[in-house]
Amino acid sequence: MKKWYNIILLLWLLPNVYSAQTTPKKFSFTGAARGYFLGDQLNQDLSLEDSITVPRLNSGHVMADLGLNIRPNKNMEIQGMVRVRNDYGGFWGSGVTFDIRQMYVKGVIGGVVRYQLGDINYRLTKYTFWNNDQELFDLAPTALKQQWDVVNYDHFHDLQNSWRQQGGAAEWGLIFSKAVEEIQFRAFGTRVRASNNSSINDRVFTGGTAQVVQSKYFAAGISYVNFLDIEGTSRNNTLLRNPVVSMNASANYASTDWIIRAEAEWGRSSTRFLNNEEAKDRDGTFSELGIRIQRAKTGWFLHGLVKRVESAFNSPGAQTRRLNLNGQPASFQRIGNEQELRPFSMLDLMRESSMYNMQLQPYLMNFSPRYDNITPFGAATPNRQGIIVTAGGEVIPGLSVELAQYMLTETRGEGTAEGRDFVRSQAKVKWSNLHEKRSKGRRIILEGNIRRDQTSRPGTEFYRGVDLETTVGAIGLELEVIEKLDVIAGWQWVEYRGFDFTAVRNEYAEIFNFSEYSVNGKESMTAAGLRYRFSDKAFLSAQMNFFHTDDENVLTAHYQIQQFMLLYQINF
Amino acid sequence: MIKKIFFVALFGIAVGCSVDEEFEGPSLNDLYGSFMIITPLDITDRNVDFAEGELTSFTAVFSKQVDWKVRIKGLSSGAVKEMTGFSNSLNSDNAQWNGTTTFLPMFRAEECAVELTFLSEPDTLRDTLSLSSGRVNEGLLLSDFESGFPSGWTTFVQSGANMSFVVQTNNNAAQGTRYYDMGGTVNWDWLKGLFEIPATVYGSPRFDLNPNPEQVFFNAMLYKPAAIDNALVLFQFREDDNQDGVYSSSSEDMYSIQVDPSVNGWTLLNAKYADLQTLINGAPAPAIGNGIREPHKCMRVSVLFLAAPTSGYTQGYIDYLIFTENGPLQP
Repeated sequence: MKKWYNIILLLWLLPNVYSAQTTPKKFSFTGAARGYFLGDQLNQDLSLEDSITVPRLNSGHVMADLGLNIRPNKNMEIQGMVRVRNDYGGFWGSGVTFDIRQMYVKGVIGGVVRYQLGDINYRLTKYTFWNNDQELFDLAPTALKQQWDVVNYDHFHDLQNSWRQQGGAAEWGLIFSKAVEEIQFRAFGTRVRASNNSSINDRVFTGGTAQVVQSKYFAAGISYVNFLDIEGTSRNNTLLRNPVVSMNASANYASTDWIIRAEAEWGRSSTRFLNNEEAKDRDGTFSELGIRIQRAKTGWFLHGLVKRVESAFNSPGAQTRRLNLNGQPASFQRIGNEQELRPFSMLDLMRESSMYNMQLQPYLMNFSPRYDNITPFGAATPNRQGIIVTAGGEVIPGLSVELAQYMLTETRGEGTAEGRDFVRSQAKVKWSNLHEKRSKGRRIILEGNIRRDQTSRPGTEFYRGVDLETTVGAIGLELEVIEKLDVIAGWQWVEYRGFDFTAVRNEYAEIFNFSEYSVNGKESMTAAGLRYRFSDKAFLSAQMNFFHTDDENVLTAHYQIQQFMLLYQINF
Repeated sequence: MIKKIFFVALFGIAVGCSVDEEFEGPSLNDLYGSFMIITPLDITDRNVDFAEGELTSFTAVFSKQVDWKVRIKGLSSGAVKEMTGFSNSLNSDNAQWNGTTTFLPMFRAEECAVELTFLSEPDTLRDTLSLSSGRVNEGLLLSDFESGFPSGWTTFVQSGANMSFVVQTNNNAAQGTRYYDMGGTVNWDWLKGLFEIPATVYGSPRFDLNPNPEQVFFNAMLYKPAAIDNALVLFQFREDDNQDGVYSSSSEDMYSIQVDPSVNGWTLLNAKYADLQTLINGAPAPAIGNGIREPHKCMRVSVLFLAAPTSGYTQGYIDYLIFTENGPLQP
């Protein structure tokens, strides 16, 4: 007699998938190695020559991530990875560091529940647990992305928008023969912050999801996460509680001509600081409905999305930013005869490792409106509502185009009942000959991206209107001149102009003041060099970069940095 | 049909995308707008009788929210009442006056000057109003000295130099026109003089007070002359624990408050009965009796005027001694 259902192990996540169909080795080595050198030269546009700042800075390192993967039996896997790094110029080991980069144990219990303890990379939905890309990253050409990739790899930001956490996770599922195909369950718990045994409580992030797959036509699910302090782990009795609950559903339809997919997600957050009368309770909701229509034969698609994220929606797992703008760039930190702090720039965005964040934060982190004033916290950016339309496809073989238009407004005004309007127009074009099967064909890739953001709000006779514009453009080239040897070049620029009021928030995310934000400047980065691809997992790249910034409103934002970069990267 | 769905969807989006009427953060108009007085200062009752329970309110409307202050000064008493707020208007919700005072003395029947000022604006608006009577406070009033030194009270005054334990009549009183002046030089003893207030003066062997010490407050107004820095005032509350009509110093509680006036002029003493302590030579000590603070068993209040023997001449005034319930005196 056929059983009504079978319980099986579901293996969803692509990385680290254990397959019973192969016989894994008991021991294997994994990891990566890198040699990285940067030679910078600063040129300032000053009427009086800067006689204090040293104009040349050289830095770099060689490092290896050495991982040992042990499989004691078919149901268990242990991974440990050590990072050995030596800065160029370290003498007799003085610049050498040893760090534990990764450590986890995972396996399967009873053939049913898959678990992982230690370091885990986790994500759920864009509103509950998601690691959003940093500003400008998705528009950068390949030549510049090499340096972005280094930063993202070092901070575990390169793993499909997941956050690296320490804790445990488990997954299991049910398969049914009637009505419902399967139900997938995932649960996790991570420690975000350790107590100092005095005034800081242990903080954990925990949650889970249950997804019901009714058929290939319909699926629905519910996700829950909570960002909370553990009572009794310090003498501080103010306890944060920030649960977010989200429900999602998707429907699919496919015919020989059309592929149609509709997705919806809606949910609610609740932020409480227990035993603290100063902090107001904040409850916020979000909702999103998207429909994607695609021609089955050509791949052309049209995607429409309607969304509303209330201003009080607070989801630390989905709103924490990769970039922490409270710090200062380490390279040329102070410049000019007055040795003033150098403001953060696109160059630092690309390579400044010390300003990247790996810890979930309970509040909205600072952001730079000149780079992105519309989606600084990704899809979960609070106080946004409106429509996003995306369309794209392949015009001719090898040439793809994608256009996007955002038309958003605030759900609640800031400082005035009138909300800001946000408009984003974006186009991405990419041509490559990789689709051609000719054996002697050399690799050629051309790409161009442009995005224009506008933020506006009328003013009154008493205060200024908001009018902030940002234009980002990028052009990239990869040209294989000799087999596996590519000429790579890229140009990315950003221009910003206008005025806005930026909210100043207290520790409970409440706005208590506004600061005037006025910019009128541009930044550009031009890069050209050679890349030799040893294999898909190894390359050597040498390039010259020219960075230039000029902002009328910032005294220390008139300079160029000429950069020589040498990068050898291998993954194994 | 498709058209209908399309228009319904458009309507839904339009409604769903509306902006909340409330906004976040401080008003930009308040932060950056220019200040104008749209409706000038006005007073709802210009001849107010607080003894009859009347109230008066101040009204005004401004172009933006500002930090404002209304200052009312009694032109005869010198009493001052201040009200502050942050708003774009004055009205009965934020600028209503019930006759209380911020800085002693208390208001009496008099003319008052009203002044409206702003923290960040130079404008000042002025007006006047007339008080038919001062505020009447609820509670067991021991004395306001308006009828002289109360009969039934007893007093002891050392035979030092320049001793002045008398009721004074002038405009310096904290309430009304009279107060009790204590002063003199006694170079052999801390005690300069004292007076005692037996409950029997008020018609019963013990003061008619709520038995809950958390709800009973003793209030008095004390004055420190600018040139005097050595005065101490000790209040003693003797309880008849066994309710035999006699206080026994060896077996019944006596709670005290010792006050060291440090601010020149009149200050208000508010003491919750539950906070009274047993003091011996000014230091906390174990209870003498049952150790339970029982206001309804208090049979005598003593007020001792003290100063270090070698500190020379000392002086202080006292006025308006009153027990209140459910809260301290709001003069």
